[in-house]
Amino acid sequence: MEALGHLLSGFAAALSWYYLLYAFVGCVLGTLIGVLPGLGPAAGTAILIPLTFSLDPTGAIIMLSAIYYGAMYGGTITSVLINVPGEAASVVTCIDGHQMARQGRAGSALGIAAIGSFVGGTLATVALVVVAMPLATLALKFGPAEFFALMVAGLCLVVGLAGKNILAALLMTVIGLLLALIGLDPVRGAPRFTFGIEELFDGIGFVPVVMGLFGVAELLLAAETRQTHMIQAELKSWMPTRQECKDSVGAIGRGTVVGFVLGLIPGVGAIVPTFMAYVLEKRVSKTPERFGKGAIEGVASAETANNAYANASMVPLLALGIPSSPTIAVLMGAFIINGITPGPFLFAEQPKLVWTVIASFFVGNVLLLILNLPLVGLWAKLLKIPFSYMCAGVLIFCVIGAYGLKQNLFDVWVMLGFGIIGYLLRKLDFPIAPAILALILGPMMEKSLRTTLEISGGSFAIFLDRPVALALLAIPVIVVGFLVFKPRSLAPLRESDAE
Amino acid sequence: MFIRRRTLLAASAASAVASPALAQNYPRRAVQLIVAFPAGGSTDVGARILAGLAEKDFGQPLTVVNKAGAGGQIGFTEAARARPDGYTLCFLNLPGMNTITLDPERKAAFTIDSFIPIVNQVLDPGFIWVKGDSPYKTLADLVDAAKKNPGKISACTTGILSDDHLAILMVQEAAKCEFRIVHFDGGAQQLTGVLGGHVDVAFDNVGSVFKRVATGEIRGLAVTDTQRSKFLPQIPITPELGMPTVISSSTRGVGAPKGTPADICKIVETAFLKAINSAEMKEKMDAVGLALKPMVGAEYAKYYADQQAQAKKYTEWALKMR
Repeated sequence: MEALGHLLSGFAAALSWYYLLYAFVGCVLGTLIGVLPGLGPAAGTAILIPLTFSLDPTGAIIMLSAIYYGAMYGGTITSVLINVPGEAASVVTCIDGHQMARQGRAGSALGIAAIGSFVGGTLATVALVVVAMPLATLALKFGPAEFFALMVAGLCLVVGLAGKNILAALLMTVIGLLLALIGLDPVRGAPRFTFGIEELFDGIGFVPVVMGLFGVAELLLAAETRQTHMIQAELKSWMPTRQECKDSVGAIGRGTVVGFVLGLIPGVGAIVPTFMAYVLEKRVSKTPERFGKGAIEGVASAETANNAYANASMVPLLALGIPSSPTIAVLMGAFIINGITPGPFLFAEQPKLVWTVIASFFVGNVLLLILNLPLVGLWAKLLKIPFSYMCAGVLIFCVIGAYGLKQNLFDVWVMLGFGIIGYLLRKLDFPIAPAILALILGPMMEKSLRTTLEISGGSFAIFLDRPVALALLAIPVIVVGFLVFKPRSLAPLRESDAE
Repeated sequence: MFIRRRTLLAASAASAVASPALAQNYPRRAVQLIVAFPAGGSTDVGARILAGLAEKDFGQPLTVVNKAGAGGQIGFTEAARARPDGYTLCFLNLPGMNTITLDPERKAAFTIDSFIPIVNQVLDPGFIWVKGDSPYKTLADLVDAAKKNPGKISACTTGILSDDHLAILMVQEAAKCEFRIVHFDGGAQQLTGVLGGHVDVAFDNVGSVFKRVATGEIRGLAVTDTQRSKFLPQIPITPELGMPTVISSSTRGVGAPKGTPADICKIVETAFLKAINSAEMKEKMDAVGLALKPMVGAEYAKYYADQQAQAKKYTEWALKMR
């Protein structure tokens, strides 16, 4: 109950007008950063750190955190409207969100994303207050072996991302894994498949690939049809309907749990939870065939998961001082520059600051909701811009985004190249999501496997010694087993899948 | 883009004509400071603090440009290829830069002679630490254990061929022992690995973790420097522990592409050195745990050359083991 008392005094501080102002400015800046592709939350926060030098430490942290979770929401907007993920964690939102926009339901998609983000973010913060310390310590037990097992289990999700054609999905997964091999070998440090091009040493950039496969490919497809607007359908609603909200309740709940749990584990990143939440939703749905064609649950689950993840990833930072993603690392840098050291003693040494910051997470989530719901209509109106202008605008947007990432023209060519590949794949009806998932998981999987083997001295027996790793590794075996042996009891489920 | 390129061409044509008088007018416009690592990293933080303070005397904006990738290779390559007119400067990270040029597989397009070292800013000494409740109380405990169980005690780095990797090799050489080397990607993974009990000992730098020593989360065994760290005065240094050859650190300074006129380098040196020696710089760098080590002229040039020689020996050794 002591925590509750601290939290209440934290609220009193966080609700003072100047901290409210910091949170508000942070949310607005974050939303903008989220909207601009290429300028992700990590780079955005880093650039804005000097701005906070003149603020008091609490204000600075409140503003930078607001930028972080604001960006998580902002990325949704472009995903839904123009099929370009504004930041990496919004890739999954494209799958159903843009389809919804094409059906004139952009308002519903953006609205449910705002609501889901709010619920996910708020519940994750509640959990942070209640269980931060014990959970963070537990998460440390999650070593490279467990991490590898989690990645393998994650890769099994491709089966869930497949449409009618599992073979096509597997083929795309292999292509994604092959692309993931490009770059410096994580153990020897030697270049692989780089053809001497230094820009390839870090591997194929994930953001340019995604912007190409989704955004540019979308433009090429749209250009084919000589349409007057990017989206032909009349805008039906600005808000999710009662039925849509009802449909999304389960998805938001499950998305919160998935996002929160994965947010505790350092290094997972924001994308994996969104994929996992999405596939879980498709699995539990009575009508999985709607996914990929504008299912509101798809948007709700992914968006909820990424904001729950964003708030949960504050747990390892505040409780242990371990930054679990590049953005959090930047945020931690800001803490330290402002004279605050995150770690187990932060709660005891600076209770006022910590609890004010935590209270500001709640306030920030409310601000984002207030800020974004009225804007939904405005964003959706962008779709009324004639296609010829819109097309040029989106392309400029993508090029700037790809270039801005590392100030490197090479990434622009990668993006355009993958735009053409994406166009061909869409024409051939090959699913794109499995390749993207494999491209994200591939390097993490390889690195964690090789680190595990470095720790064990080359012995695979380490996986047998570690119950969590073993349990996680059992998942893919079971999934593949079901696929191959087709047990009769699952027959009805399989038929509904194949519809 | 086109406009920018054209103005650049015009500017370069003008500067070519006016080159004898170049230094008198320098700097006439903004100067780019290439950081070969991402925004928010410790090189970047130091660079931004330096740029902010040096700008006042410099008279023109100093723009920090992050050209991250391939462990710095992208940024160093770009800086090495830049026009040597003083408008492109670069942060030189040692020994990271050395090991890139020394690994033939990396096919680096630059050598250490591609840069003129102008002024050093930071020297972050190596730091060997274990978990707070580890059975190893001293460096001797650790080395004895490694001698008794060759290849069984796991020691982690923040990356392959990083200063930490070289430091492990130095300890192995000095104490004639063998560790099981685990390469992580950066300090966060290292913390998770050691605090989570997955790895026995971390070879790291003082700056990133020194505050955790006072809280008891981690136990410091040794600092690999010739003098005790002001952030960790209680931790012994390797020469005191009988390992004078184990001297490893990560340094960051400012350099210019080869061919940059000496008088321009001098202007940069004067402005930057003043900023590095200022009280404001000290206060800001103390907060982030980065020790200042101003070096210029012959001293920095000698250090620069010595680092290459030291890195060469251990890099070749590391390459042989892979």
